[in-house]
Amino acid sequence: MRDILLQIAQVLSVMLLAPLLQGVILQWEERVQRAQGPGILQPYRDLWKLLHKQAVVPETASFIYWIAPVVAFTCMLTVPILIPVLTDYPLPLSDMGDILGGGFILTLGSFMITLAGLDSGGAYGGIGASRAVMLGILAEPTLILVFVGITLLAKAMLPFVVNHLLAGQPAVYWGPAHLFLVAAFFILLLVETDRLPIHSSTHIEVYMIDEARILEYSGPLLALLKWAAMMKQFILYTIFCNVLLLPWWLSHHGSAIGAVGAAAALLGKFSFVALAVVFVETVQSRLRYFRYQEPLAASFLLAVLAIVANQLR
Amino acid sequence: MFAVHLPPLAASLFSLLAIASLLLAFVMLGSRWLKDYLLAFAVQSWLIALLSVAIGYYGHYPELYLIAVLTALFRGLLLPYLLLRIVRQMNVDRELHERLSPSSSLVVGALLVIFAFVVADHVGISLGIAGSVAVLALTVMLSMKLIGFLMLAVRGEVISQILGLLVLENGIFLGSQILVPGMPLLIELVILFDLLVVVACFGVLVRYLLLHAGTSSAHDLRRLVG
Amino acid sequence: MDANDRIVGGLLGVILLAPLAAVLGCLLARRPRPAEYLNLTAAVSVLAAVLLLLPRALVRTLTFWHGYLIVDALGAWVLLSVASVYLLSSIYAIGYMRRLDEAGRLHRFYALFAGFALTTLCGPLMNNIGVYWIAIELTTLVSTFLVCFELRRDSVEAAWKYIVVVSAGISLALLGIILFYWAGSLRMGPTYDLTWAALRTVAPQLNPTVALAAFLLVLIGFGTKVGLAPMHTWLPDAHSEGPAPVSAMLSGALLNTAMIGIVRFLQVADRGRLGALPRLVVVSIGAFSLFIAALFIVRQRGIKRLMAYSSVEHMGIMTLGFGFGGPLGIAGALYHMLGHSLNKSLMFFGAGNTMQAFHTKRISRIHRVLRSLPASGLLWLAGAVAITGAPPFSLFLSELTIMRAGLAGVNAWAVFVMLPLLVVIFVGFLDHFRAMYFGGHTAAPAGAQTGGSAGAARAPVRESVWCVLPMWLALVPLLVLGLWWPQAISHYFSVVAAQLSGKAVP
Repeated sequence: MRDILLQIAQVLSVMLLAPLLQGVILQWEERVQRAQGPGILQPYRDLWKLLHKQAVVPETASFIYWIAPVVAFTCMLTVPILIPVLTDYPLPLSDMGDILGGGFILTLGSFMITLAGLDSGGAYGGIGASRAVMLGILAEPTLILVFVGITLLAKAMLPFVVNHLLAGQPAVYWGPAHLFLVAAFFILLLVETDRLPIHSSTHIEVYMIDEARILEYSGPLLALLKWAAMMKQFILYTIFCNVLLLPWWLSHHGSAIGAVGAAAALLGKFSFVALAVVFVETVQSRLRYFRYQEPLAASFLLAVLAIVANQLR
Repeated sequence: MFAVHLPPLAASLFSLLAIASLLLAFVMLGSRWLKDYLLAFAVQSWLIALLSVAIGYYGHYPELYLIAVLTALFRGLLLPYLLLRIVRQMNVDRELHERLSPSSSLVVGALLVIFAFVVADHVGISLGIAGSVAVLALTVMLSMKLIGFLMLAVRGEVISQILGLLVLENGIFLGSQILVPGMPLLIELVILFDLLVVVACFGVLVRYLLLHAGTSSAHDLRRLVG
Repeated sequence: MDANDRIVGGLLGVILLAPLAAVLGCLLARRPRPAEYLNLTAAVSVLAAVLLLLPRALVRTLTFWHGYLIVDALGAWVLLSVASVYLLSSIYAIGYMRRLDEAGRLHRFYALFAGFALTTLCGPLMNNIGVYWIAIELTTLVSTFLVCFELRRDSVEAAWKYIVVVSAGISLALLGIILFYWAGSLRMGPTYDLTWAALRTVAPQLNPTVALAAFLLVLIGFGTKVGLAPMHTWLPDAHSEGPAPVSAMLSGALLNTAMIGIVRFLQVADRGRLGALPRLVVVSIGAFSLFIAALFIVRQRGIKRLMAYSSVEHMGIMTLGFGFGGPLGIAGALYHMLGHSLNKSLMFFGAGNTMQAFHTKRISRIHRVLRSLPASGLLWLAGAVAITGAPPFSLFLSELTIMRAGLAGVNAWAVFVMLPLLVVIFVGFLDHFRAMYFGGHTAAPAGAQTGGSAGAARAPVRESVWCVLPMWLALVPLLVLGLWWPQAISHYFSVVAAQLSGKAVP
């Protein structure tokens, strides 16, 4: 029973804390550049505002337009069940899928948004969809390779096993295979969560990818999509921190205090990663569209190196 | 043999240093700016010096400390300084005529690493030491060799070619530190010295190229064919 | 240490110190004339010392300086060909370089030239394989500056390609040497001196996979320096752009010094449990070099590039000889080595004379050589006949011997590749000479008769004795060795072959 409650708490914490993470990153980016920046609660206010607005639907849109935000949001609610957010042991239903399964569900959300972008019939929706698919084609092999690397490292596809291995064995943690996986995943994290050097959710037409896909949305549906994007960011951060980078400070027994402590630790870890992300965003300028493959090639390379290093320990 | 029976932390440290050097070779492969090359090369040399120290410590080869100091001084400071002087003479800061874009060369480099790994693994299996640091050293050595050749092939600036050659040398040096740490001191010293002479010769030759051929890119050297 | 050893030690001292003294002397003198004669004196004394050394090296293999120097029959033979070429090109350089109008820098040329000879002489004497590698690397560095001595755009380009390609290639050899050391250290403990003898001793116990990889790397590495195809790309550039004496040294001396490394590693490979693959690879590379050389010789336009590709050809033939192995193959290859050194020097000298007379490197602009250069033109033509392997010159004998050796061995197919290619090269090479000596009629049929066409218009050029003498000195031994294979040399080769195959010396 307590495990079920914890599982619900995991999903809720992802849902509720995701806008906070977004707010923190946005504010820090401004602060680094000596500007005031929005408050860290601004994403909540945005969502609240959008939820109270009227939804305008294009005449050409079909049912896909309606279900895409819901499916995307549901996907983001499903993935937290599979990964260690608060506890370092599997909770009920977390054996539904392994790392690869989680990846598929995340991709399904993105796929639905792409379909919706095409479905809305606008020019920007089409451009956004094609660019998103292009980026996916570049990023996906690397993602798979990172998963392969993780699997070879832990001899298992379950995030909990990886977590235990890394938290328990410093020799593996400091081994080159793991460090390269961290580096490779970090680049993927930047790409997948709309950060520079790609930053797909910009409003500049030449660069926009995510923003173009959801340009036709408004009101509560837009709120759901934005929220889903924030949750995706939160989930990827969770995987990066709790599985790969900082596998410590999770609740071992599942007590209430442990869960709250783990949530607090999560915020601490995220601020650490966010700091790194903000650093990258500050020093890195945006790449031209035709150079997007460069960071991904680097990530691919790191994943290959990790796999090679993994064979030789 | 030294590199087979190691405490786990030492093995981890060796492999980390070796792979980090390989990564720096990729940094060179993936960057366009000549200064970045130089920096990556210098850092790589320092890593190799650290590796020498670590091997000297764990394997009880005191002469490797001397090698480490000389490596750091020669390869880590003097060579980059000499190369920097060449770069300043040339009035060129970046690679303009690569035949393969940096991202493609990264991917090709990754494939070369896989090839090197297959070869090294084969050798390791035949020696019964599969999965040890020795095989990793062999992999890194062969990969840096291949990456050096790749750099020679796809880069045109003379300084990139020199650095490609130096990557070749660094790869051999790194591998030999792990595989044959007991190699006579004299040989290692002479090879270090030889490298210095090579770079000095290249410096003179680059000046000739600028003066008499009026170019700093090997792509312009295409008069002699057939 | 008995008297014989001391004499050999003294001769070694002469061989190494004479060029060194010449280097220092040239740098100190700073004037062209003393530098010329210093270099010439060094060359004469080196050749004299080598000739005295030869019979003594035959008695037994000696090592000096804590085992860093080795004097064996094979090394001494290579020294002989290096020293002869050094002397010939030193004589020739006096005549050739005086015409270049570089008097201000001539002392530096001779310093570099003697330094180049020194490093080339060092190679065959090195007993430690690592030091041998460094000697080979040093030859590259020194000769680079000789190649670009004239400081023209083309020669600087050639020097650049030369140093980059050869340095990159030779680093593979270093990798191979390290792998050999590693494979040996699994048997001999972590620290030992990697001498040829040590490697030979440990060879049967080496791990075959590592040893095979190491051998292939070494073959490619030193093969680059030898100029075997497909690693030959630097060779035509460097040989054609350097001054003629330098080209002769590169082709006649340097390539042999690198070749000895391949021969010695082949010996190690024979002792290891590597099967037939090493020899098969060596023979294939030799045959492929021959093939590439044939292709480029037929369609060549530059006169010195023609000679350069001929070097690729002859290195291929030598490689075939060593690859076939056996007493006959080794004898043929060694005889070929000396013959090629003399003959190629002769060819480059002739090319140098012709280039200076006609002021061009292009074959198509050279006509009626004999009219301008009656003496050296004739010698050059004789050399051209000799280098294509026609009787009665020595290369004919050695090529025949190599083919006989090949037919007796397992790689007999290579002989059937070699034979048509040699014919193609013979025809192609001599066709260029036909054009240069007797052509030009079609271009200006009337004018040629009266001396009106551009190339043939020249009056006979005054040929310096410095430029003609070395050609005679090269041709006479070629002819003698072609007519008569001395018994003493046969005995010498049988000793080398026995040492290489590890049997008792007859």
